[in-house]
Amino acid sequence: MTLSLSPQDAWQPLPAGDWNAEAARHLLRRAGWTARPAEVQRAAQEGLALTLDRLFPPSPALLPEPEMTQRVEDDMPEFAAQYMQAAPEDKRVLGRQQRERWQAAYLDLSIRWLDFAAQPENSAYQKWVLFLSDVYVVGFEKVRRTPLIYRHFDLLARHGLGPAPALSKAVSRSPAMVLYLDLAENRREAPNENFARELLELFLLGEGNYTERDIKEAARAFTGYRIRPPGEFVFAPRQHDPGLKTVFGHTGHLTGDDVIDLAYDLPAAGAYLPRKLTRFYLSDEMLPDPYLYALGGAWQASGYDLRWLARAFFGSRLFFAPEFRGNFIKSPVQFYLALLQDLDLDGVPLPRYVINPMRQMGQVLFNPPNVRGWVGGRNWINSGSLAARRTLVESVFHPLNPESLNADELRELAAAAAARRGDFAVADERFGPLVALGPGAAVRAMAGDFLPVPAGPSFQGSLETFIAGGRADPREHLRRVRRTLITILESPAYQLC
Amino acid sequence: MLNNSPTPFLPSTRREFLRRSASGIGLLAFSRFAPSFLVNAASAAVPAPEKDRTILVLVQLAGGNDGLNTLVPFTDANYRRLRPTIGIPDTQVLRISDALGLHPSCAAMQGLFHDGRLGIVQNVGYPNPNHSHFRSTEIWETASASSDFMSTGWIGRYLDNACSGRPAASHDPLAIHLNTLNGEPETFIGQREHPTFGLLAGAGMRRENDETRRLLETIAGAPGAPNAEEGFLQHTLMDSLVTEGKVQTVLGSYRPAAAYPATPFAAALRNIAALVAGGLPTRVYFVSLNGFDTHVNQAATHADRLKVLSEGLAAFQGDLQAHRLDGQVMTMTFSEFGRRPSENESKGTDHGTAAPLFVMGSRVSGGLHGTPPALNLAANQDVAFSTDFRSVYATMLADWLGSPPEPVLGGKFTTLPLVRTA
Repeated sequence: MTLSLSPQDAWQPLPAGDWNAEAARHLLRRAGWTARPAEVQRAAQEGLALTLDRLFPPSPALLPEPEMTQRVEDDMPEFAAQYMQAAPEDKRVLGRQQRERWQAAYLDLSIRWLDFAAQPENSAYQKWVLFLSDVYVVGFEKVRRTPLIYRHFDLLARHGLGPAPALSKAVSRSPAMVLYLDLAENRREAPNENFARELLELFLLGEGNYTERDIKEAARAFTGYRIRPPGEFVFAPRQHDPGLKTVFGHTGHLTGDDVIDLAYDLPAAGAYLPRKLTRFYLSDEMLPDPYLYALGGAWQASGYDLRWLARAFFGSRLFFAPEFRGNFIKSPVQFYLALLQDLDLDGVPLPRYVINPMRQMGQVLFNPPNVRGWVGGRNWINSGSLAARRTLVESVFHPLNPESLNADELRELAAAAAARRGDFAVADERFGPLVALGPGAAVRAMAGDFLPVPAGPSFQGSLETFIAGGRADPREHLRRVRRTLITILESPAYQLC
Repeated sequence: MLNNSPTPFLPSTRREFLRRSASGIGLLAFSRFAPSFLVNAASAAVPAPEKDRTILVLVQLAGGNDGLNTLVPFTDANYRRLRPTIGIPDTQVLRISDALGLHPSCAAMQGLFHDGRLGIVQNVGYPNPNHSHFRSTEIWETASASSDFMSTGWIGRYLDNACSGRPAASHDPLAIHLNTLNGEPETFIGQREHPTFGLLAGAGMRRENDETRRLLETIAGAPGAPNAEEGFLQHTLMDSLVTEGKVQTVLGSYRPAAAYPATPFAAALRNIAALVAGGLPTRVYFVSLNGFDTHVNQAATHADRLKVLSEGLAAFQGDLQAHRLDGQVMTMTFSEFGRRPSENESKGTDHGTAAPLFVMGSRVSGGLHGTPPALNLAANQDVAFSTDFRSVYATMLADWLGSPPEPVLGGKFTTLPLVRTA
């Protein structure tokens, strides 16, 4: 990768003179889901510092626990008691019922989160939480207890702008994580290294920055981490190995928290999260180490403050450098939420209309393929996932067909409409301002608002000619403008941010 | 990009009317593989069909078909008791035995039954039935026990097993889905990725999709992408557009030998016939027909859905026979559940359990299979199934697709005498 800045200059704050509408668009598209014209204007006027304050506020809004998750959670103690006493054949039935309720609550949680994240005021922070969940990975398929998945995300959101060591320690006590990485199987007499390995390799340091012995000793330090039914973390002192351990050359009666603190003393810990950050927000290509260590050193000096990191990263000269503009492939989550925001639509509150297309685009919420999280970037794109993106675009231009809905779904839609959240499809009336423009201006307006890169001459020309071909008849003109917008949203450029 | 206007050009009108429309989307959805038979531009002629290749067409009746009003036990006093207002009168049922008759909308299917080309498996379900659409559909698609959660579908696992020795170079689709609401059905998901593609509903959308395709071809084909990522996207998009165009040509040049009704369902079956005639090596087609969730005033809706089903199936079978492809194709219906035997207070029916399913083809062992449900039930009680749906799957796998069912279904299920030897 050719970088226009040196490692020393890269993380300097963007000079005030370089802040303009185009920079604001870049920030909003990368830190959030998209750049809506009104928000671009507001950010451009407020300046970068104030905008970053707004995107990463001291106390960001948190997703309230969805009612269905809450209900399943409330029932868990009673269910656990029932299950303990049940005869074996009843246990099967109970277990099945419980899994079904978790599954329903999981789908509901996915819908609620998307809805929450789609609100422009929540977008940047929820994307940040999604980023953290792509580092501190847990997967629904293994954890299965929806309330624990919710609590894991809630924990990430609560610690997401505080000191990173506190976040890591909280994650090590997250019941979802304890289940996901078999921490409860890590016994004093038979240590299970799964958690300790991923902690060092995937959460804190990265490969090459620890030895196999560090992992074995760290695993001993994390003994005694248990879950008490129905799903509460407990430290069991008698299960903990209190002996001497040596990790990263330090010997002592180390606890799990000690191991985390020792890891953060290493420069590799400073560079690790910035590396993940650039991969999640900036580019498929890794930044060279000197850049990562430069940011990491300064971050360490801040006391590993995550809010500091977010502001330093998104406010840096490097983040706004020309080589990072308009050339990063949107994740399926971002593609979906950007589409809703760009078109000012509400998400359809029906799992099969949202979760299935998400799966076809390659991203199932709360369920990354493995502990490494989603690979992202170009890996999101193949002819299948691209077709799924195009289908999604077409679908928001067509009202739902009630004949294809079952009674439960019709009820959900009626509830959404009653809550004034029923704009699921782009109506023809909304094309009025565009129809009033000439073909050239209409294409320029759409491309300007929705695409992160300028439309090339053949892009502009072919769409302009297409609209012009229908101008004689007002209905045909409207239809062609509408079709043009669909085409723009299905185009390669709209996959980018 | 340089447009600084803060006015969104699509002003939001929050009270927008949620318009209802029957028009769907007509778009091809490819899996990551483009079919080689189409991509390979040099071979303009389609490959000759393999004579011994059997093809299974799955017809999903989405929403939960009311089995009791589809296959009517018209002499059973319990049926009259449970269905006082929405029961089908004796005089209207289309008799297929002394005790059973088809819904009056199913005249075409009655004809197939009398010709021995329609088999009916009675009272198909599974233990511990689930009443949720989503979950029960998942159970049918994954062929799991209702206590298990599986992430692969039964056809996906069949492809995993049947195609392990397949040359990796071939990208011909092994499974194709049509008119499904949400793209690829879970039925097709395997441990490994298989080439599949989808034809999404809405013949009326054809022209618009052609327009988009042509415009996107210009855009994707334009030189000088502003960055490498966009170049990569252009290239990937172009590949799938070219393939899409060729599939549309195959479908557009097909001449059916039967009159298909003007329904999206029949259009999908016509497209299946075109692709079968075109010699695709596809083994499984999946087509969805919606609207069976009949909670309220069901008589008219259910009659319409069954008419669409019956007439569509009959046209498809006639077309295949005329093209002498009928020996290769077997069609089977399924639905996530049947409906409650006792009608509800709204002249409809609520979610139930077992129901009959239909198997159609020239090599079907026609007639009735399995045993009918016992209807000596209390109000709101469900029927107990008598044939496990996985027995039907096992039969299709073993006797039609020629694949050992156990590795696919993860257990042994008795097969049924549904398939006649050729």
